[in-house]
Amino acid sequence: MPQRSDLSQRGGEMKRVITGNQAVAYGVILSRVDVVSAYPITPQTTIVEELSELIASGRLKTKFLKVESEHSAMAALIGASTGGVRCFTATSSHGLAYMHEMLHWASGARLPIVMVNVNRAIGPPWNIWSDQSDSVSQRDTGWIQLYCENNQEVLDTIIQAYLIAETVKLPVMVVLDAFVLSHTAEPVEVPSIEEVDAFLPPFCADYAIDTQEPRAYSVITTPDYFMEFRYKIQKAMEEVPEVAKKVDDEFKARFGRGYGSIERYGKDEAEVLLMTSGTVTSTSRIVIKKLMEKGLSVAGVKMKRFRPFPSDEIYEVIQGAKKIAVIDRNLSAGVGGIFSQELRASLYLREQRPPVFGFVSGLGGRDITPELIEEAIQYTIENDRPKDEIVWLGLKR
Amino acid sequence: MPMIAVSAGDMAWNKTGAWRTQRPIYEDKTPPCSAACPAGNDIVKFIQKIEKEDFEGAWNIIKEESPFPGVCGRVCFHPCESKCNRGSFDEPIAIHALERFVADFGYGLNKKTAKLEEKNKEKVAIIGSGPAGMSCAYHLARLDYDVTVFESLPFAGGMLRLGIPSYRLPRDVLDRELSDIEALGVKIRTGVTLGEDIRLEDLKDHQAVFISTGAHKSRGLQIPGEREKGVLSGLDLLKRINLRKKVQLGDKIAVIGGGNTAMDVARSVIRMGKKATVLYRRSREEMPAFDEEILEALEEGVKIRYLVNPLRIGQKDGLKRIECLRMELGEKDESGRRRPIPIPNSNFRIDVDHVIVATGEEIEVSFLPEGLEKREGILLTRRDGSTGIKGIFAGGDLTSNQRTVAHAIGSGKKAAMAIDAFFKGKDPDVIFQNLIGEGPSLSIFNYLHPAERVRNPHVVAFEELNMDYFEPAKRQGESKISVKERIKGFKEVSSTLSEGVALEEAGRCFNCGTCNECEVCYVFCPDASILKREGLFSHQVDYDYCKGCGICFTECPRGAISLKEEEK
Repeated sequence: MPQRSDLSQRGGEMKRVITGNQAVAYGVILSRVDVVSAYPITPQTTIVEELSELIASGRLKTKFLKVESEHSAMAALIGASTGGVRCFTATSSHGLAYMHEMLHWASGARLPIVMVNVNRAIGPPWNIWSDQSDSVSQRDTGWIQLYCENNQEVLDTIIQAYLIAETVKLPVMVVLDAFVLSHTAEPVEVPSIEEVDAFLPPFCADYAIDTQEPRAYSVITTPDYFMEFRYKIQKAMEEVPEVAKKVDDEFKARFGRGYGSIERYGKDEAEVLLMTSGTVTSTSRIVIKKLMEKGLSVAGVKMKRFRPFPSDEIYEVIQGAKKIAVIDRNLSAGVGGIFSQELRASLYLREQRPPVFGFVSGLGGRDITPELIEEAIQYTIENDRPKDEIVWLGLKR
Repeated sequence: MPMIAVSAGDMAWNKTGAWRTQRPIYEDKTPPCSAACPAGNDIVKFIQKIEKEDFEGAWNIIKEESPFPGVCGRVCFHPCESKCNRGSFDEPIAIHALERFVADFGYGLNKKTAKLEEKNKEKVAIIGSGPAGMSCAYHLARLDYDVTVFESLPFAGGMLRLGIPSYRLPRDVLDRELSDIEALGVKIRTGVTLGEDIRLEDLKDHQAVFISTGAHKSRGLQIPGEREKGVLSGLDLLKRINLRKKVQLGDKIAVIGGGNTAMDVARSVIRMGKKATVLYRRSREEMPAFDEEILEALEEGVKIRYLVNPLRIGQKDGLKRIECLRMELGEKDESGRRRPIPIPNSNFRIDVDHVIVATGEEIEVSFLPEGLEKREGILLTRRDGSTGIKGIFAGGDLTSNQRTVAHAIGSGKKAAMAIDAFFKGKDPDVIFQNLIGEGPSLSIFNYLHPAERVRNPHVVAFEELNMDYFEPAKRQGESKISVKERIKGFKEVSSTLSEGVALEEAGRCFNCGTCNECEVCYVFCPDASILKREGLFSHQVDYDYCKGCGICFTECPRGAISLKEEEK
């Protein structure tokens, strides 16, 4: 791994073949993070390995706090962030679940912490492979959630995440798929530290701890005021679409890459839309292209931001569509896939309400193959509305 | 309304210290090294100075307690290191090597020790210029007493000069430490023997006398043939060698004894191109010589025959014939060592050119005046070194069976404190308020500046340290010249640490019970209640806000914080 000075190449980026986890580490180094605290868990481990080795060797001047659990890792960052410094952690699955209480605290205290969650199923049965159940389980904790499709997007999203977080004063969770991204190497453009410095200004906390003027933080708040603090968090969430767009536009202007919160690809004015998140999108792009060549009226929608839920952005891109298929790599038992449920809810008060087909597939890391994706689209074309609330894709019965 | 639930104003009015039921207190405790140092050196403090690269400061701290860091750093058996808590973790700190480094650094700057007090008019006579006498002279001279040392030999230094070979203690090291003492105004009158040239009655114009004549009489073997020609006393031989007198020896030499004198003799003989065999009646385990000495002797080609007891020394074809009996080890005796028991009919003979007897020394008492009590081979004194005669004090090898340089230095210092208390009309017991740990060593710095070095006598145990903060690190020792180089002559065997190595070694020190400003408490305190201040302790607890959680006490790597219950 390089240190910051190694990433100083004025006048140009360079491509490196790196894994998703390495891309995370590059993003953290380039974002000039002051404090890292984390506890190892597969498939997140190599992120922390890279960073802690660099720090231990003295090459990266970032403080690494060793902790005995994910709960403590987040607690430590809550302290550090309150102190006014830029913080990072990474986790997965059970580790994220273990952090749950502290996730609420970080957002409630309005701390712009950035965390990477490498999507992994939650046991039992024991499983280490890709599944979104861990991150969607934390949808109500007040964290912004951004899902990535490839390693380049992972690196870029880390840098963007700090600017978004520090603008709206809310924590951001950057999510990537286990192994498919975390442990797979791809060519990634690594920007120079000077370019990132010009994009991402140093963090300046509103209420940084000052021992000369001590204050009481997160003090008990009576029913007279509690709701107003929650209202402020909601308002901050509502600012995110605009802030994220500005950040992404600025990023694109400087680095030539932008992602948007929602990306539509494929046929204009298509009748059937396929909505995906994470790496399934990459596979879907190939399938959509193939079906378009066959003359089908299909297009894809990539959902990058899950919280705050991009209702308006989605509504804008689905105009004219007759049906929407959603592939969820997660399951809220008793309801179905979370993305499809939330999409249905967001459309309920809208004028146009195309039926949403909720497919559940790829749980516990099972591959979501081009054939399965095609099967989902065919099912959507052939049926006026889904026969069941959940349409299982690739299930052995 | 603010963005978060944060107090609008300063919360300093909320004195959360009122919640406290226990209070952390910065309190230096006694590290085991200092407690074990017979000379009473403030080891941890001088090591802290080394860590801060303040080598002069380290020199000043050592010199508060002892005039002989150059000597002790080389020849002391360093009981401090055997007690070092780091020994329970990896290896003890090479304290002796650090002391030597500091001494050599100070003399390299031509540093001189400063006087402390002025215009004390009393005169003190000191009999004997060994480490005890010179240590006493040094401390009294720093207090500006008028000190005269009487030495029967033509040179000052006593056993340091006569008994210790120069390959262990180069003469220029000794000379510069003695000249630092003389520079304080100590007069040394050599060639004056008590009982011959002067009597105690002649010293009436001195208000106090300190007798430290040592133990120079060879104890001998009490076997037939030991008074014959060709049989020499170990100490006499060393004296001749060390005073550069002519010594003629045959090729094969037997040295009888297992102590440091025996090792010194054998190693000196080797350096004169002879073969040396040591005969010792117990096993290696029981040998009183320091381990390092034995190791180096063996490296240099000294042969040691264990469990061998000489019965008589005869004559055969111009050689000395030693008849010996083999021994085996029985039960432990009163010294705690296993007693040698003769194996019947195991007699054998060894033929050599010369036999050197080095089985210990006794005190010479013939010159001592009446009224001084002797028992079990030593002159009896009170705890403070005073004797039955008012104004007469004694110390060093003369008054103790613990005959090491460090003990002698400590004993001379104690006498200096007792004499000062005597002159100032203080209770003789006052000096024992300055014990290091539970004693027996004393701190003269404490005695003179009671407010400046407050130490809890509790000796810090390994279990009281927080090993989470330490990583194993190799002990750094002095380098030695090759055996081939060593046995060519009397060149010093080991060398002084380099600055870099000394810093590394000092960095290994746990600083047991002593704050070294590592800032762990400062970092951990959840109430930001550790204050950094000028003063006796660099850190203080802000009791207005400290809630007494005890995290500082638990985390402190070195046990420098105590936790005490609040008084209701």
